[in-house]
Amino acid sequence: MTSALIEARALGKSFGPTPVLRDVNLSVEAGRGAAVVGANGAGKSTLIRLLAGLSAPSLGAALLFGEPARALRPALRRRVGLLSHQSMLYPNLTARENLEFYATLYGVEDARAEALEWLERVALGAAAEARVRGFSRGMEQRLALARSMLARPDVLMLDEPFAALDAEGTALAAALVVEAMGRGCAVLASAHSAGAFEEMGFAVLMLSRGRLVGAPSARQSAARQPLARQVS
Amino acid sequence: MNGRAVRLGLGLLTLALMLAALYMVFVYVPTEADQGIVQRIFYFHVPCAWVAFASFALVAVAGIFYLWLGQQVWDDLGYAAAETGMVFCTLVLVTGSIWAKPIWGAWWTWDSRLTTTLILWLLYGGYLMLRAMAGDSEQGARFGAVVGIVAAIDVPIVIVSVRLWRTIHPAVLVTRQGGHGLEDPRMVATLLVALAAFTALFIWILCLRFVTLRMHTRLGALARSLALAEAAAQD
Amino acid sequence: MNSFVAVLRKDLMLEVRGGQSTVALGALSLLVLVVLVFAFNPGGGEQGAEAAAGALWVALVFSGMLGATRAVSAENENGCIRALLISPLDRAALYAAKLAAAFIFMAVAEAASIILMVLFFNLEFDARVMRLVPAVLLGALGFAALATLLAGISSRLRGGDLVLPLLAVPMFVPALIAGVKASASALGGAPFGELAVWLKVLVAFDVMFVAAGYLLFEYVAGEE
Repeated sequence: MTSALIEARALGKSFGPTPVLRDVNLSVEAGRGAAVVGANGAGKSTLIRLLAGLSAPSLGAALLFGEPARALRPALRRRVGLLSHQSMLYPNLTARENLEFYATLYGVEDARAEALEWLERVALGAAAEARVRGFSRGMEQRLALARSMLARPDVLMLDEPFAALDAEGTALAAALVVEAMGRGCAVLASAHSAGAFEEMGFAVLMLSRGRLVGAPSARQSAARQPLARQVS
Repeated sequence: MNGRAVRLGLGLLTLALMLAALYMVFVYVPTEADQGIVQRIFYFHVPCAWVAFASFALVAVAGIFYLWLGQQVWDDLGYAAAETGMVFCTLVLVTGSIWAKPIWGAWWTWDSRLTTTLILWLLYGGYLMLRAMAGDSEQGARFGAVVGIVAAIDVPIVIVSVRLWRTIHPAVLVTRQGGHGLEDPRMVATLLVALAAFTALFIWILCLRFVTLRMHTRLGALARSLALAEAAAQD
Repeated sequence: MNSFVAVLRKDLMLEVRGGQSTVALGALSLLVLVVLVFAFNPGGGEQGAEAAAGALWVALVFSGMLGATRAVSAENENGCIRALLISPLDRAALYAAKLAAAFIFMAVAEAASIILMVLFFNLEFDARVMRLVPAVLLGALGFAALATLLAGISSRLRGGDLVLPLLAVPMFVPALIAGVKASASALGGAPFGELAVWLKVLVAFDVMFVAAGYLLFEYVAGEE
């Protein structure tokens, strides 16, 4: 039995007759990271949706913790974090209220304190009591990242996490992701280009026309390079 | 079991029963004393009503199995039952109207049975519109199953409430003669044969429709496999 | 239980903050009542009571459809529904919270409707008006249960706005009949015994649809 936390086995998805993903095989173990890179329309978001359990596979299996992602028990869903294209934030609530709400759903003790702590970590402390409606895209993205990570998940799925982030924001986000991996979280990310992920020690997989071209499983390269470069 | 042979057999059985029923309705059974010749429509009206309600139950049961087992065949059955049932439900309303006009002088009577059938017709219509809107997708099948189940739960309470409505405030137009009080045994016999004939007709049409939907499902699966093979060839 | 409270609290907070749902519902009820006054041209007495009861329930149905749609589709903005679906939140608890929110919106709109009804149909603010409150609350609960489940479907379909009333109204007929009859009886000064049979129908309706929604919502809420 594999110890992979995130796994796709011969995963396929078709919308009507049109195939969007074909025979995708990947596995990510605890503490490792995999980045799926491809152009628009390659199927990256669909792959993440399938692995998050939001969509059902047409063929094959999408597994989290060894169980079908679509029918995950609540106890396991607690350990999954998702960052998607859409921010999944309530515009009329403040940043803190958004995080507090999700913290409560995930059974976090002392939701308010956690929310405030994470706001600091994503450099939104000053905007804690501001409504999300007025946030810039970069602020939204950082808040969404905080939302996905605040329950300290063991599986993290990030759909284009560095989109709309400036260099500083990217460094911040990358540091948080690397830290999560350090405590054993398995991370699957998607992006247009591999740059930042290679530096974070991710295995890079190319997705083209629904098929993975490249290494089938994410094995950490022997020398893991944390993002050490100073970004001003 | 050869599917085609079964369908042919059903068709022939339906034909035989229908011919027998038509003979009995128009030749054999005596004219009813109060209402005259028009009363013969009763032998079409009641079986259609029985079929319409039974079909609705079938939609709900198919929906339950679909949600439970996730197999497309149950959805195909449910959808076929909804379409077929809708036809018979429409017939109930039309024959009811044709019957009402010469007897009561009005095209529509708000008596409890017709009113309930009208609600059923609206529910069928809603289901079919929903399926049309959701298109050919797993989501459409799932939504259809949910609506079918909820609507079926609703029907008993519709029957009760409409009946209460009519008894506590009786209609201006007196309720029609129902299936009771048929004095002549020939009338009972005719009704039974008509029931059998329409049930056979319903099952036959249902089978035809169901088989068509199954073929459609299989075609979809084939199209998917073909598209996958084509994409693989281009790799 | 914690999650249910959290979702409900969040919906109410959003509403207070600047959602326009209750205001819109109230306005819609007002308009419906105005139209029906023109339509029925009611006199006083028993005929007035019947017309008033009917108008009240028409307003309830219209505002209910709007309320349920708002409560459910609030989650579609920014894809929040996905976050709720992958969270440990029980689907049934989500349904219960949405139902509670829709019910609260409707109850507020109904309170306004009752006041307007008394004004427009020349009735009195007396015990008779109080006696129709149970029927209205039961009716609102039943409609909220029904419409929340159906809105879960219609909010996911393009052009789904048409499907919601098409399905909700026929399904609501038993409660509508019972509710109008109970309300007309109450306004006409009838004793409680006459109301009782209709209230029983309403209770049965509510029990069935809340249970049905509770069990079936997970099949509606899952994504494609």
